[in-house]
Amino acid sequence: MFSRWNWVACGFYLVLNICSPDASGGLVQSCGHIIPESPVLALGSNFTALCILNESCLDFGNIYASQIIWKIKNRLVPKEQYREINRTVSSVTFNDTSSLATPLTCNILADGQIEQNIYGITVTVGLAPEKPKNLSCIVHQVSRFTYVMTCTWNPGRHTFLDTQFRLRYSWPEEIFPDCIPKDVNNSCTIADIQFFVNTEIWVEATNALGKAESDPLVVDPIDIVKPLSPQNVSVSSGVLPTVLKLCWENWISDAVMTLKFNIRYRIVGDTNWMEVPSEDTASPRTSFSVQGLRPYTEYVFSIRCMKEDGVGYWSDWSEEKTGITTEDQPSKGPPLWRIIDTSHSPAYWTVHLIWKALKPFEANGVILQYEVTVRDKSSLSSPVKKYNVTSTNHTLQLREGTYEVTLIARNSVGASPPSVLLIPASNSKAPVKNLRTLPKHDKLWVGWTAPNSYVLKYVIEWCLVSSTSDCIIEWQIALGDVQGIDLKGIKPFKCYLITVYPLYADGQGSGQSVKAYLKQDRPSKGPTVQTKKVGKAEAVLTWNHLTVEEQNGFIRNYTILYKTIDGNETVVTVDPSKTEYTLSSLTSDTLYTVRMMASTDNGSRTGPDFTFTTQKFGKGEIEAIVVPVCLAFLLIVLLGVLFCFNKRDLIKKHIWPIVPDPSKSNIAQWSPQVPAKHNFNSKDQMYPEGSFTDVSVVEIEADDKKSFSEQDLKPFDLLKKEKSTSEGHSSGIGGSSCMSSPRQSVSDSDEGETTQNTSSTVQYSTVVLNGYRDQTPVQVFSRSESTQPLLDSEERSEDHAGGADSTAQRQQYFRQNGGQDETNTDRPCFERTKQITHANEGDFVGFVQLQISGQSSQPLGLGMEKNTQEAAVSNVLQTCTEGQTVRPETVEENPLSVDEMPKSYLPQTVRQGGYMPQ
Amino acid sequence: MAAADSPSAALRRRDLCSRGIRLAGKMRADVVDLLDAYVEQQGLDASASVAAVEGVPLAAVERWDEQTGTQRLLENLAAYRAFRALLAQMLEEQREQLGEAEAGLGRALAAVLLQVSAFAYHLEELLRLESRGIPGEEEEEEEEDGPPPPPRLSLFEQKLRGLGVLRELAQWAVRSVRDLRQLAKPSPATGAAESP
Repeated sequence: MFSRWNWVACGFYLVLNICSPDASGGLVQSCGHIIPESPVLALGSNFTALCILNESCLDFGNIYASQIIWKIKNRLVPKEQYREINRTVSSVTFNDTSSLATPLTCNILADGQIEQNIYGITVTVGLAPEKPKNLSCIVHQVSRFTYVMTCTWNPGRHTFLDTQFRLRYSWPEEIFPDCIPKDVNNSCTIADIQFFVNTEIWVEATNALGKAESDPLVVDPIDIVKPLSPQNVSVSSGVLPTVLKLCWENWISDAVMTLKFNIRYRIVGDTNWMEVPSEDTASPRTSFSVQGLRPYTEYVFSIRCMKEDGVGYWSDWSEEKTGITTEDQPSKGPPLWRIIDTSHSPAYWTVHLIWKALKPFEANGVILQYEVTVRDKSSLSSPVKKYNVTSTNHTLQLREGTYEVTLIARNSVGASPPSVLLIPASNSKAPVKNLRTLPKHDKLWVGWTAPNSYVLKYVIEWCLVSSTSDCIIEWQIALGDVQGIDLKGIKPFKCYLITVYPLYADGQGSGQSVKAYLKQDRPSKGPTVQTKKVGKAEAVLTWNHLTVEEQNGFIRNYTILYKTIDGNETVVTVDPSKTEYTLSSLTSDTLYTVRMMASTDNGSRTGPDFTFTTQKFGKGEIEAIVVPVCLAFLLIVLLGVLFCFNKRDLIKKHIWPIVPDPSKSNIAQWSPQVPAKHNFNSKDQMYPEGSFTDVSVVEIEADDKKSFSEQDLKPFDLLKKEKSTSEGHSSGIGGSSCMSSPRQSVSDSDEGETTQNTSSTVQYSTVVLNGYRDQTPVQVFSRSESTQPLLDSEERSEDHAGGADSTAQRQQYFRQNGGQDETNTDRPCFERTKQITHANEGDFVGFVQLQISGQSSQPLGLGMEKNTQEAAVSNVLQTCTEGQTVRPETVEENPLSVDEMPKSYLPQTVRQGGYMPQ
Repeated sequence: MAAADSPSAALRRRDLCSRGIRLAGKMRADVVDLLDAYVEQQGLDASASVAAVEGVPLAAVERWDEQTGTQRLLENLAAYRAFRALLAQMLEEQREQLGEAEAGLGRALAAVLLQVSAFAYHLEELLRLESRGIPGEEEEEEEEDGPPPPPRLSLFEQKLRGLGVLRELAQWAVRSVRDLRQLAKPSPATGAAESP
């Protein structure tokens, strides 16, 4: 910007130098000028400017009008807007002045392209003022004698120009000075207003583009006065308790105008104003007595004024002043009621007299005391009792009867009318009918239908029903001609019990009660349901009633909602009086979810979910299954027992076969040369520990005998022959089941001797087998010369330790002996060790001691009688021999000498030597 | 009277009368107040006896009730024109004597002067409604501009004259109220008085 102006300044300097050769000696002379000079133009109008060149410059610089160019704020104006009027004048025309800007300059293109400024003007664009509108005036009373008039108007649109507003006013023959607004353009205040002359008032707006005047307002200023409010207001009480006198001062003289007034008042603490009727205060005054007020009540007063004819404006309200009326006697007796307590003794009552304090407008002053009078109506001779009470209740102890209680309230002025209450012996009169309630905003309306008899008044009792506290009774008295009242202070969502008693002239009616809510809501919680009993297809649900605090309204119904996990929900509505319900048609062994909803008129609330599973079996189904099964089982058992009992012998034979008792064997008596004392008491002595190492066990498989070859049986044939020729035979001890077949038994009783004789003649024999089966045996039958009974030692052991122990010892012994193969303990045949000289086996000399036990459970021995055992002894030997596996282990290298051999024929197993045939 | 017979003229007349009555009442109240201020300000005795002011018709008149309306209006107009001149003179003298120091008294005088002027205008309007010509103020102009100029009064005499003017104005204000009330009455007396 600076450079631009600098350039312009340089241009001007150049022009001066060019066009003013004599500038140094006089005023600066320009080479031209613009007409008009700094015009003010109306916005939107057209405008033409002329640039006129000086003749002197034409000759000097060869400057002509055709070289003129126009610029607006350094912006070239299109040449279409130029017009060369003559050699020295060029014009430019603008159709709309809104396109103009300041400055508008006239320039010359000298010497080709050198632009030089000739002249410039300032163009101002704006609007002519609009006609001011809505002129209005008001005269304010400023002081007792001073009035000012303030007029306001709408100045109209913005003109963009400096516009002057003038408030002008005049009388027909008097023109007053104009009022010129300060800082604003829409109001002005005129002082020293004169009344009672019509004054013409108007507003004049003026700017460079024109002048406009408002419509004139012709008004007598007295008609637009807003007077000052009455001053020094005071309130005073008079003799009457219902009157207060209000005084004030008017600050406007009657000569100026007469006034009318407006008085308002209210009770202190109340927000509603009351007004004195306007016609009572329509005349000029400075005081007024307000009547119809309440005694002993504080009032607030305020006053305002305006011209009497109502033309003009009301003044502001005066400052508020308070006054209190004087006391008066109470206007009515206190509402009286009683509560009779007969709990102690029916014959004597405790009567609680209760009454309400009078409202201020009823008390009309300060209640100093209450006077209670009690008269026994049933006994005329009874004296009247009087009580002076300062509280609002009194308790009496009365005998049952009829009493008339009178209550009077007293203040400093006087006593109230008496309140009378009849306390009857019984409430036997007719009650009210059709007791009902209806909520009305925040009040609860209680209505009833009056009984047929004339009712003096009604007593309405109500209390908040609570499950946790007693019902605290509130009460109210209504006149006998009303059939409904509004109860105040009722809380929403709370249950109230309302009772209405009609009071007759000669007694009291019984009370009628109703429960009511001012406003209901949905319950605050839902019932908690649970099952009492669950069956296969039914479930008994139980729940507790909601407390009255939780109900929030009248419970209209309960709704049971139950469903399976994936099933639809089933809804059942239940009467609100019930606390139990049976769900039926349920699916067995199914999980159900049940919840319960309590509903009032205003909504519902659902309790927590409860789940239960129905039973798989119904009642008695299990018993129906289990009992027959048990019975069948018992029957089967019984039958089994009976069968076993019948077949006991067979069973016994299979399970407990008869074991021959060796102690009863005749063998014990078989050898007559049994030394009385023989050192066979202990096998340990006989077979010292560790010395019995080589024992061979001969297994005899009875069933295998058939598979034996004839070659195998030859030695037995020889044995038979040998037996038949010898005095004794091989022992049949242990002729057990192995020798069940008498035919196969090899016995020494071939000679037809009795078993007993046979036993006495049986001798031990030594069988020496040098081969087995396919081997070439060297059969040596060595007959034992011993006549010692085989079981002598056993008998002795039985003598010492009993047969059972002895047997056990023997079994143990054989177990040790046959320790290489314990299965032989179950073998039917017990091996008997014998001394066998194994000739072919160079290193071994084996002694095989065979012992055949009758306790073997070998089937071959089943059914074998005891008395036949001896007969089968020879067979035992035969059988066992057939299947034996002989493993001679005796070392032949160190045979014992005869002298060293014990003189016993008991089978011996000796480490060195052993039993040697003699 | 043709104009007076029209309803608008009757309303205008009644309005002018009503307004004139109230203006006269206000003027009287203000003049009374001004008298007190003037007496105090000029150091005069309120009970001082003042001779009748020259050029002002006396308010008291015999057979007042026998006057016609026009007569009343003309007498009132003459009186208030005289008061307007006198008050203007008083205001000028007041400014010369006290300068701007006692602006309150000057404003009160100016206010009364305005009221006198306004009342004179009311009277002229009423006379126009009566279709009567309004007398010119040549006499006053002659008094002001005529060859015999009024004798130059001393300062005290000026004060006494001012007191006299205000007292007479107060009385005239009372009379004017009564005159206008009489005019406002739609009684045939006006017509009877005019008929001769």
